[in-house]
Amino acid sequence: MVELGRLAVCLALLLSGVAVGASVLGARLRRPDLVRSGRHAAYAVFALVALATVILLRALLTRDFSLEYVAAYASSTLPTYYALAALWGGQQGSLLWWTFLLTLFAALVQLQNRDRNAALMPWVTATLMTIASFFLGLVVFLTDPFERLPVPALEGADLNPLLQNYWMLIHPPSLYLGYVGASVPFAFAIAALCTGRLGDQWIRTTRRWALFTWFFLTLGNLFGAMWAYEVLGWGGYWAWDPVENAAFMPWLVSTAYLHSVMIQEKKDMLRVWNMVLVLLTFLLTIFGTFLTRSGVISSVHSFTQSGLGPYFVGFLLFTLVVTAGLVAYRLPELRTPGTIESFLSRESAFLFNNLVLVGIAFAVFWGTIFPVISEAVRGVKITVGPPFFNRVNAPLGIALLFLMGIGPVIAWRRATPRNLWRAFAWPTAAALAAGGVLLAAGIPAGLAWLTFVGGVFSLGTVVQEFWRGMRARQAMLQESAPRALVRLVDKNRRRYGGYLIHVGVIAIFVGIAASSAFRLEVQQSLAQGEEVSIGRYRLRYEGIDGWEDGHVSVLHAIIGVSVGERRIGTLEPEKRFYKKPKQPTTEIAKRSTLREDLYLVLGAYDPDTQRITLLAYVNPLVTWIWLGGLVMALGTAVAVWPAASERSARVTVPGGVRVGAE
Amino acid sequence: MWRAVASALVVAVLAGPLAATEPPSQHDVEESLTCQCGCGLTVHSCNHLNCSSAEPMKREIAERIARGETKEQILAAFAERYGEKVLSSPTLRGFNWLAWITPFAVVLLGGVALGLAIGRRVRRGGGPSAQPQVAAETSDPGLRERLARELEAFDRER
Repeated sequence: MVELGRLAVCLALLLSGVAVGASVLGARLRRPDLVRSGRHAAYAVFALVALATVILLRALLTRDFSLEYVAAYASSTLPTYYALAALWGGQQGSLLWWTFLLTLFAALVQLQNRDRNAALMPWVTATLMTIASFFLGLVVFLTDPFERLPVPALEGADLNPLLQNYWMLIHPPSLYLGYVGASVPFAFAIAALCTGRLGDQWIRTTRRWALFTWFFLTLGNLFGAMWAYEVLGWGGYWAWDPVENAAFMPWLVSTAYLHSVMIQEKKDMLRVWNMVLVLLTFLLTIFGTFLTRSGVISSVHSFTQSGLGPYFVGFLLFTLVVTAGLVAYRLPELRTPGTIESFLSRESAFLFNNLVLVGIAFAVFWGTIFPVISEAVRGVKITVGPPFFNRVNAPLGIALLFLMGIGPVIAWRRATPRNLWRAFAWPTAAALAAGGVLLAAGIPAGLAWLTFVGGVFSLGTVVQEFWRGMRARQAMLQESAPRALVRLVDKNRRRYGGYLIHVGVIAIFVGIAASSAFRLEVQQSLAQGEEVSIGRYRLRYEGIDGWEDGHVSVLHAIIGVSVGERRIGTLEPEKRFYKKPKQPTTEIAKRSTLREDLYLVLGAYDPDTQRITLLAYVNPLVTWIWLGGLVMALGTAVAVWPAASERSARVTVPGGVRVGAE
Repeated sequence: MWRAVASALVVAVLAGPLAATEPPSQHDVEESLTCQCGCGLTVHSCNHLNCSSAEPMKREIAERIARGETKEQILAAFAERYGEKVLSSPTLRGFNWLAWITPFAVVLLGGVALGLAIGRRVRRGGGPSAQPQVAAETSDPGLRERLARELEAFDRER
């Protein structure tokens, strides 16, 4: 079985080369038969990689300890679902998983475009298969997941205990979907450059892919934050770790793209810029993978560290040179004569939004690599930690928050004073009022205050848009309010889905600001029966308990929680001791409300005196961050769902040809 | 206007680390130092309880504050012992200054470039001459206003 897996990846590598060659030759020589061969080769590559993936999964699920990978990342006591997750828990497996997703997407793209984009598709195939060759090359020559141990192990070393968490089943797959998904718009961009078809055809074709990528990057980042919050036990959710940054940067750039692409669709401007953003998103995903694998920059994500760094650098440079060359070659054709009529226009608001988003991405990139630069230039190791990133990004983020309120409602072309008044009078009034109320309530006029005010302003513009659209329908079509609202959204899903996403983002901004600025914390050693207070809570240490099985032994403290005299519940923070590898981890306990999280960590425990050290945090509005993510997901669903006209068009047009109803 | 806002922000951000408060707060100093246990977090937020690095550092910070040392003196003492890497963010001196200034410089330069580019297009293509031919040829102000109104309505619909 295992040998079959090895054979499959070798063949897949070979065929991915064939796919590239046949597609490029077919396109150059105008030979449809060669193009078809290329396409079929791409399907075959997917089938082979899928086979290899299934074989590795089977080895993990049956705990075949004759495989080095299985022996390193699973054990006989590891629950089945974590054995499944071990596929992406280690270097070799995760690269195979990456390749699987990439070839799957390549096959899906082929299916989607069987009858469309005939000129672009060979180049799309060639690009995707070139990327696949790189990853397959790593799998075949450098990190073979099917390597056998000289002597089969009796028992496996097990998955890192920190990864034995249900988030392991959710966070990495989301992030991988987003990361790998970025290859598809990238491939179409390259195809557009190669063929000189630089209009918005490639952009329309990849619109849903770009949104898909962005959506899973969003989820991946948020799930990572939730995981860190629940597992790492330091009361926070984002530490600006290099690998967090690596996941954040492509998200920022693809967010910029989703906005600037609207200008290209509407006014055929910014071709170069959009091209650069798509290319950059992909490059950043490769850079991110490089960061995780290379160990150049130390990180909490060093689970899969290896010596692959130089290969990723090589691939990165190769891609950079090819894409930069192609853009330079097509530059004269990419330039468009579009005009901007005024600084006060949606065009320029979007451009400034892009500037800030890319600026934040640059700031994150710069902070991430600065230690390396410093060591190279001065020979001194320095740290660029969370305080740096918070300080630099806070003002940029707040500028973005305000721009988010301006962009969607300012007029295209040129905003007249009347338009500005109509669009911004109410939101500005609401923001000023909120600012006053918050000051009166004792919130100091700092970054958090500014974020709240910006949030109210941006929310105001969105609410106003929904309100006016609904009222207009009610007045003109005599619809009831709920019906008018639903029809309004359905008539322009992309626009109102986008607004909903903005609402989610605002909630996240507010949650981050509140939990960073107004967090409380206390650390206290307690004997049984003693109490400690934090904020409005009284925490009473009532006892300690434990259980164990073959896999792990668990100790949990019982903490009674009261507000004033009223007891509101019990929280049980845990310490876990995994048996192999022997490693203690903390399991926090928390009580979440819309208002705040009470977050408890069990620290030291002395069995002789039964004293514990309890760490307690009160994090205001953290739940808003997760709810904001939910709203963003909802908004994305609204935006990608086919519009009513598109749905009926699909039914009526014979042959299933899609009619663009964008 | 944007440039003014941006430069005000730079000043506001850089003024933070420059203005050291008189008696340093334990929290502030702990946030300015990196835990040396390998967690990658600041001394304040290291998630290892009884951390062999963070705990002694916290105690030492408290002692030094009690002795009346300033934040600068405390940070310098730690940097002396562990090297510059113990500081959780780059200093504002010498080469490290680049770490702080570059992101803002890039955004600022980008903003200026963008402003110039938009300004050029506004001058080149904007104004009445950018309106469709009809508008340029007609001198009837009523007609022109009607066209502007309809274009606006058209934009809003989209």
